[in-house]
Amino acid sequence: MEPIRYVDALNNKYGAMGFPAYKWSENETAPWTTLTKPLSECTVALLVSGGISHCTAPAFDPDARNDHRVDAVDPDEPTDGYQIHDSYYDHSDAGRDLNCIFPIDRLRELADAGEIGAVAARHWSGFMGRTYDRSRLTAESAPAFAENLKQDGVDLLIAVPA
Amino acid sequence: MGLVARVVEQLGIPTVNVSTGRDITALVRPPRSLFINVPMGNTFGRPGDADGQRDTLRKALNFAETADEPGVLVDLPVAWDEPFEYFTGEATPEAIAKQKKK
Repeated sequence: MEPIRYVDALNNKYGAMGFPAYKWSENETAPWTTLTKPLSECTVALLVSGGISHCTAPAFDPDARNDHRVDAVDPDEPTDGYQIHDSYYDHSDAGRDLNCIFPIDRLRELADAGEIGAVAARHWSGFMGRTYDRSRLTAESAPAFAENLKQDGVDLLIAVPA
Repeated sequence: MGLVARVVEQLGIPTVNVSTGRDITALVRPPRSLFINVPMGNTFGRPGDADGQRDTLRKALNFAETADEPGVLVDLPVAWDEPFEYFTGEATPEAIAKQKKK
């Protein structure tokens, strides 16, 4: 099956919502940091953008725009204690098993098996997309997020867009 | 999300982006991306399929060691066993009204 053309589909939806035209970021190059340790010594964090919040925290706005909220997620909390609010993907499976999109339990198992060094003290959920104010994202919100990762000694971030 | 990964990488922490939207990822160009041609929301597979979820996560982790070119985008040979389409909630009048206030 050919990959879905999300850019066209989302542009059509944004237009129907009365949003201004969305100019997707286009980059010719990418930054690079080499992984300097074997995975078995790495502290790994997860970041997911699928509108997932703990049931004791406020829900995400399912139609969020320019929402730079990112919640810390306790990696030891049971994964059935979360709510999902996001109008832009089908999260019915993830609602039954969070690991479909946010594999907290699977990462812990790999740490227990010694395949990675450790699970980070915090995982993360946020940065929901439809971000028109990207200069604020790249100048403020994302660097602040990176600082949190550094505080936790994270060696590798697995990022899951949704 | 890809933009956040780029900033994190720029600030010294390696990242792997596990994508279900190939065209978006190709434009944004995070440092390292795996594309998995499954429905958005099922990046790591089916509910209850711990082995499958773990296998995909393991591939993402290993990619941090094997990827060797900034902006690399690799297609994982994973097939979904039924056709799927672009999914979105409907643009309801309430949602539109709410967004127009922002």
